[in-house]
Amino acid sequence: MYRLEGVTKVFDGTLIAVNNVDLKIGRGEKVAAIGPSGAGKTTLFRMLNLTVRLTSGRLWIAGQEVSNLRGARLRELRRKIGTVYQQHNLVPRLRVIHNVLAGRLGVWSLPQALRSLIRPREVDVRVAHQALSQVSIPEKLWARTDELSGGQQQRVAIARVLLQNPEVILADEPVSSVDPTLAHGIVKLLVELSANFHKTLVMNLHSVDLALAYFPRILGFRDGQVAFDRSPNEISDDLLTALYAGSVTGAPPEDAPHAVEPVPSCTPILPS
Amino acid sequence: MPSNPSLAALPFSHRSKSHFPILFGICFAVAFMGSWQLAQIQPGLLFETEGRRNIAKFITGMFPPDLSPEFLRFLVVPLFETIQISVMGTVLAVAIGFPLGLLGTASLAYTGILHEVEIGGSRARRLTRALPYILVRSVLSVFRCIPEFVWAFMFVRAVGLGPFPGVLAIGISYGGMLGKVYSEILENLAVQPSEALQATGASRWKVLLYGMLPHAMPQLVSYTLYRWECAVRASAILGFIGAGGLGQQIELSMRMFNFHEVITLVLILFLLVAAVDFLSAKARKAIV
Amino acid sequence: MPAHPASATTTIPLPPRGRTRVASFLVPAGIAALIIWSWHGTHFDLMSLLGADGRAQMLTYARKLFPPDLSTDLLLKVAYWSLETFAMSFMGTLLSVAIALILVFPASRNLVFSGVLFEVDEAGRPVRLARLGLYVFARAALNLLRTVPHIVWALIFVFAVGLGPFPGVLALGLHTGGILGKLFAEVVEDIETQPLEALQSTGASRFQIFVYGVLPRVLPQFLAYSLYRWEVNIREAIILGYVGAGGLGQQVQIAISLFLENKLLTLILAIYVMVTVVDYLSAYLRRRLL
Repeated sequence: MYRLEGVTKVFDGTLIAVNNVDLKIGRGEKVAAIGPSGAGKTTLFRMLNLTVRLTSGRLWIAGQEVSNLRGARLRELRRKIGTVYQQHNLVPRLRVIHNVLAGRLGVWSLPQALRSLIRPREVDVRVAHQALSQVSIPEKLWARTDELSGGQQQRVAIARVLLQNPEVILADEPVSSVDPTLAHGIVKLLVELSANFHKTLVMNLHSVDLALAYFPRILGFRDGQVAFDRSPNEISDDLLTALYAGSVTGAPPEDAPHAVEPVPSCTPILPS
Repeated sequence: MPSNPSLAALPFSHRSKSHFPILFGICFAVAFMGSWQLAQIQPGLLFETEGRRNIAKFITGMFPPDLSPEFLRFLVVPLFETIQISVMGTVLAVAIGFPLGLLGTASLAYTGILHEVEIGGSRARRLTRALPYILVRSVLSVFRCIPEFVWAFMFVRAVGLGPFPGVLAIGISYGGMLGKVYSEILENLAVQPSEALQATGASRWKVLLYGMLPHAMPQLVSYTLYRWECAVRASAILGFIGAGGLGQQIELSMRMFNFHEVITLVLILFLLVAAVDFLSAKARKAIV
Repeated sequence: MPAHPASATTTIPLPPRGRTRVASFLVPAGIAALIIWSWHGTHFDLMSLLGADGRAQMLTYARKLFPPDLSTDLLLKVAYWSLETFAMSFMGTLLSVAIALILVFPASRNLVFSGVLFEVDEAGRPVRLARLGLYVFARAALNLLRTVPHIVWALIFVFAVGLGPFPGVLALGLHTGGILGKLFAEVVEDIETQPLEALQSTGASRFQIFVYGVLPRVLPQFLAYSLYRWEVNIREAIILGYVGAGGLGQQVQIAISLFLENKLLTLILAIYVMVTVVDYLSAYLRRRLL
């Protein structure tokens, strides 16, 4: 499914986020990525879901080399990759159903997308409802997304991935902003979905326990490189300590997307 | 600016910024004195007998205001015209400002997360995407920096007197303002929802439709409504140069020194603006 | 909102009926009706503009505009007129700030008769009535200044003191003074009351509270609004020129009446430059001073 050779990402000419990574992930595999913050996991994910360009190295996704992809072919490949983010990746003012159906945007034409925003088709409503049932919140179909809790919003994000029906699911710290009591539920959900629908699953996790509990293959990342690639029973405490030792403090956040919700600066909205 | 270590040892700090207040003060004083001259300010004129007599004539002429039914009935048409000019002007402004605003949004045109993979470092391609953006921005700038009054003048020459040139003038100059503000609103949106939508394989248009517009809608509508309020006032003013509506009536009445009519017109204008303000405030509250 | 027990094959919830069918139909219909009525009333006729005739006319007109008259003689005069317009907007804005500052004290509810500064107040009825009267008067004055369009003020003052930029300064000053006064008062009425309470408990007089507690808090916002208003005023200064207040506006009117199109284009270019300069200055000052 994924093949990486010497993949590197450098920001602004000086910050090496991902350093010469070689990796192979087969179809249907379940892989967890762990490691300290700033280790380059999120950057790697953003390369794996074709959001960010490689600085050097080569990447194959589903057998296709990605360096010269543009336009429709790029979007087609993106459609095969479903991503669940840590937070803030749903459109808050839309109703849950629209956020779920957004998974189909890669397939729909623009008029279809527009029509669905105004009045979703019966069949789409049914499909969305079904997806929401699988994540256990079917009653939220018409709720406004910003009225849901963090854990519920993550479920909506997963429902969206279900509608997208990709070949691989990437989850970038999907439970780090969620109530710890719910974290297990969500990770388990993703693992089950991946098993039932034969999808590759790559998950970036903050919690080592969750990784060890649910994944047969664990990648340890540190300083932009793969420190180890093992199954849980091969991972000793010493290995983990070494991985997280002297965590790179002061490392700039891995291209943390900025969220600014402000007002236009120029012409004022003044009463007069 | 790093301060010189030897200066830092002084009891008070000498940062290079300290020159600004002095510089500003000087510029202000020069501007003030120069402007006083250029604007030919002579407060004395107001208190001269001639001036005082004229002002008194004006004030006494205003009362009582002309509230006769014939006059009021006569004013219905100009009143409607002013409203109509403001509505059509705003509609035209949105029709112009919205597409241009979209094209002039940097995050849609050529930078930001929506273009990372495609454009990346290729300078040439970045430039070709940036060009239409720059062009659109300049056009919007021309539209909004030339006051509606000048546009109205030119359109009166092109299509004759009446409310139509007023509509065009407001449409173009407000279109420029709307375009700029729309693009600023869109550029300031949170970027994560768009990034997530793009990762599903959606094209830029769909990301715009699903991710950005619903997010921005309250702000876009709110500013548009504010512009409509301004348009009402502007259309009254444009009437002065023949674009119909209440403004034209005010001009006529002033020219004939019928001050009692002028005050009625001003009162009506006041009520109109208050009504529009009220409606627009209600509408804005409902949008959120 | 219909909530059904969670079970995978449950009935699908219906979309929420927030507004009735009729209501959510009325608003777009009403807006559409308003637009159609306005379309009609303004004789909006895109064809006359964009049709073959209209285009030809506009093209001829556009051709007459070019090239702009760039003779040194005219350029010097245009520079002078530009400075005259700039001066009008500058002084007009300053005058408006002065007027607003004078009226903001009596026009702010929390400084005149209500709010925390007056809770423990033993003034008799007549004093309280006088204060209320003062507030009403100040607010009414501001309203009057705002409502009368600046162009009407300009006509009045041209009538009173003759042609030239001076009546323009007065007109801008009064009209904008009303606008700024109201904005300033809103800012003052919105400030937090605790610091004022603290000052009051030290025995400071109301005026002292205003100077030490209120002013420092509101001045930055006042400055911001004033600078924004300057951007608007430079455009309005041009309009006022039409009624005799001098500057570029008056020249535009002359050029159009005398069919001097090349001169008109030069004037338009000067206007564009002037407006852009003021916009930039205002933004720059806002960044620097705030």
